Formats: sequence, C-alpha cells, structure tokens
Amino acid sequence: MRAAAIPLAFLALALAACDSAPVVTFADASITLPDDPIELPAGPEPGRTAVLENCTACHSPSTMLQQPKVSREKWEGIARKMIEVYKAPVDPQAIGPIADYMVHVQASQPPR
Amino acid sequence: MAGSTLTRRALIAGAGGAALAAPVLAQSLVDLGLPGGPSLRPLDPAFPGKGEMIVQRIRPPLLETPMDVFREGVIAPNDRMFVRWNWDMPTAVKAANHRVAVGGAVNTPVSLTLDEVAAAGETVEVVAINQCAGNGRGLSEPRVTGTQWGNGAMGCAKWTGVRLRDVLAKAGVTEGAKRVRFAGLDVPLTDGAPQFIKSIPMDIALRDDVLVAWAMNGEPLPLLHGFPLRIVVPGWFSTYWVKMLSTIEVLTGEDDSYYVAKSYRMPAAPITPEDKDFATVPITEMPPRAFITSHADGAVVAQGQALTLEGIAMGGAAALARVDLVGDGWELPCTLGPDEGPYAFRRWQVTVPQVTANLAQIGVRAANITGAVQPETLAWNPSGYARNVIERITLRPQ
Repeated sequence: MRAAAIPLAFLALALAACDSAPVVTFADASITLPDDPIELPAGPEPGRTAVLENCTACHSPSTMLQQPKVSREKWEGIARKMIEVYKAPVDPQAIGPIADYMVHVQASQPPR
Repeated sequence: MAGSTLTRRALIAGAGGAALAAPVLAQSLVDLGLPGGPSLRPLDPAFPGKGEMIVQRIRPPLLETPMDVFREGVIAPNDRMFVRWNWDMPTAVKAANHRVAVGGAVNTPVSLTLDEVAAAGETVEVVAINQCAGNGRGLSEPRVTGTQWGNGAMGCAKWTGVRLRDVLAKAGVTEGAKRVRFAGLDVPLTDGAPQFIKSIPMDIALRDDVLVAWAMNGEPLPLLHGFPLRIVVPGWFSTYWVKMLSTIEVLTGEDDSYYVAKSYRMPAAPITPEDKDFATVPITEMPPRAFITSHADGAVVAQGQALTLEGIAMGGAAALARVDLVGDGWELPCTLGPDEGPYAFRRWQVTVPQVTANLAQIGVRAANITGAVQPETLAWNPSGYARNVIERITLRPQ
C-alpha cells in the first residue's frame, strides 16, 4: 500500500520579524504506514507457527530473516533476550521450536 | 559504495503454465554486498514522504539510504534520509497538545508547549551528519546479529532549532547536575520493557550547537524523523538524537537505564571475537569515515588513461583534516570540496594520473583535526558499532 503524507503548514519568518513573532508555526501531523504482510518461508512446525504467534506481533519477519547464519544456541539466546529484556510474552516452551525453524530457514537460504 | 548493486527479480503471478499470459510483477532488490548473505533487500513498500529507500524492516521502520544518494551532494534530501525506530512509532501528533516536560534536578519543573520551546532562545542552524551507531554492521566479519545495515544508515542535513541549554534554562538546572536524559513519544509495546531513553553528559548538553530541533533542511521534521522535535548532538551517533521529544530529565548521577547502561556500548579496549568478558563504554563520538561514490566495486575503468574518483568524507566528532586515496603500497592526497561545517560531509576528489594494472582493493582514508584516522583493519566488536575501517573497492582496468 502506498500511503500519502498529510502536508504540513510550516512558516519560517524572515530575520526582519520582530522578537514577539513566532519563529516557527507547528501544525498537526499524521501518516499512514504501509501494511506489513508478515510473510514467512515454509519450515518445520510447530516452529513456524510459534514464530508467527510470538515474534511478529512486535516486529516484521525481516528482523529474523535478514540475520547472518548463526547457531541454534544463538537463536535460543535471542529468543530468551526478547523475553527477559524486552518482556515479549513468549511461552518459554516456544523457544525450542522457534530456534528449530530459524536454523532450518537459514540452512535453506540461497547464498545471497 | 562497496557492493551496492541493483538487481531485478521478475515474479510471475498467476496459476499454471497454459492459459492466459500471466501479469509480471517486478520487485526491485538491492544487493548490499553483505559477506555470506542474506544480502538482498527490497526497495518497497514505499513509505509516506520517502523516495526510493532500502526497506530493512517495515515495522518498526528501518529504512536505509541507497548509496547513490551520496553521489548527488553532501545533504541528504528529507525523502532519502535513513529512518530508524527501536519501538513502534506514533503516527499522529497534535501540535497544540504536545508538551515537553523539563524536570529532574531543576529549580522549577516546567511543561512547555511547542511555541514555548521555539521561543526559548535564539534560532540556530547546524549542518550535521546523523549516523546510526550500527551503520555498516552487516559488513562486519565475522558477522554479528542486529540490524543488518549496509553503509546507508547515515545522512547529512541542516537542522534548525533552539539550543538545549536555553530550553534547560526555562527550568533552571540545579547544582550537581551530571547528565540530561531524553524521552520521546515512542513507548514499548510490552509492559516492563525498557523505554528508548538516552542521556548525555552535562558538558555536552550545554554546548553551543546541541539543539532541540524542529526543522530538517528547512522543512518541519517529518513524523518518521521525529516530529515535532528531536535532539541534535553534532558529532555524536544518532542514538542520542531522541525523536518526538517529550521529556527532558536532569540527572544528578550516572544513567542506569537500559539503552545507556546495557545497550549501545563498545568494548573499552580492542577485543577479538573469542573474547567473552570485557569492560564496555557507551558509544558516543563518531570517528572519521570516507566513501567512494563515483565508482562501485568491480567497475571497469580505462587502462592507461587518467581516472578521477570522487566521494564524501566526514571528520566525525571533529572537522575533517584530510582524505587520501590508498592502494597497495601507495597513496594520493585528495582535494577537499566546500566546507559546510565541522560536522558535515565534505566532498573529495582525486585524479590518478594514469591507470595501471593495479587498482585492486583501493580505498579512501579520512583523518580529522584531532589526529583520528581510519584504520586499515576493522575494530571488530560484537554489536557491530562505530564501523570506520577503510572501505575498499576493486576497479578493473580494461
């Protein structure tokens, strides 16, 4: 989806303006961000569903899919960090399946 | 601009092989040249108010500037400046309702309207590079996890605002104040997660050129860039340039908040990838960097002819002093273009009198006036911060 920005009225007064005149006028602003299609490659279950249910609520799948190839232990560590630091409501039982899925997806990625 | 090449992938939409001619959807992809991949990134979807950008992530938005933009000038147009949000960004701000609370170790806590902020002092303009601390992380070897940026998480703009110290004066900083912390309207999605708040030492906060800015290249800050107000700390990485500023808090001690005490930190001394336990310091000042923008890695050049190379360079936390083109056992000083200020990009140019066989792994090396110079080898760190190794390309004389 291609979203349009709402134009802003903006006024920078010339140097000649007297001291009491505002140097800038602020208008309301709003935007519509593009949709996030949340497309995940095929992969082992229940891992793929666990990723959909636990990870993509907070961020796009590209967050995981663009990472360099790392170990299963690293993926488990990343999932634990999401729970412990970022308070992601992830069921600890899902950590294993999430790591399984990510390891599978990274092993099947084309070289680029 | 090592390895930033555009490729096109044709996706055939439609079923089966026989029936009607299927519509062809072309999706443009950029190859960021990240060692070992994955390296291809889409140029869509389009974001409001943005031109062609490398979409690292849709939500929260992470948009990288294509290296071509840096060929065109030292200022990044607003529609091509990189975008980085840690948490989901608010998508609407009512100007009349917005307030900036100034509190903590102050004489009189105040809650300022946008007009009151803008009238807090003299209007100041600064041309300064906004660069993500993780710019170029994807090029780290060995690779590290995190946002896999190429080198386009940077851009230079003219920022307009008032001095932070004039805004602080509306509340009056008390004796013993040590740091100033900023928070914006972006908050975590999850209860108990750390808010993206950042602080700078008081001596930095009081600088002449540290701003509460409302304009970028003469236009109001776009929401994606922090409307209505963002902090500008020239020479420091953009993690401190808090967007959608809503709170300024004066601290009397160290800042123990997550994004200062735990994250955005570098090894205090050089380490190797095998090292596990080491002291860390916050990333703060930017080091010098330089880029060739006239030629891509692998470009063909004319054998035996003169060759002119061009690009951009920055001094980082201090003005650029010099740029040299460096090859295997030789170097050539570059001519610097117009000076837009110590914290801006500056163009450079150099002519190789006659192209010979050896233009493998050439690069440009910037040095600033404090003597900081780009290193030959990467100062590897596990978060991929503050990359400033000499960026090299290979040209192919024919």
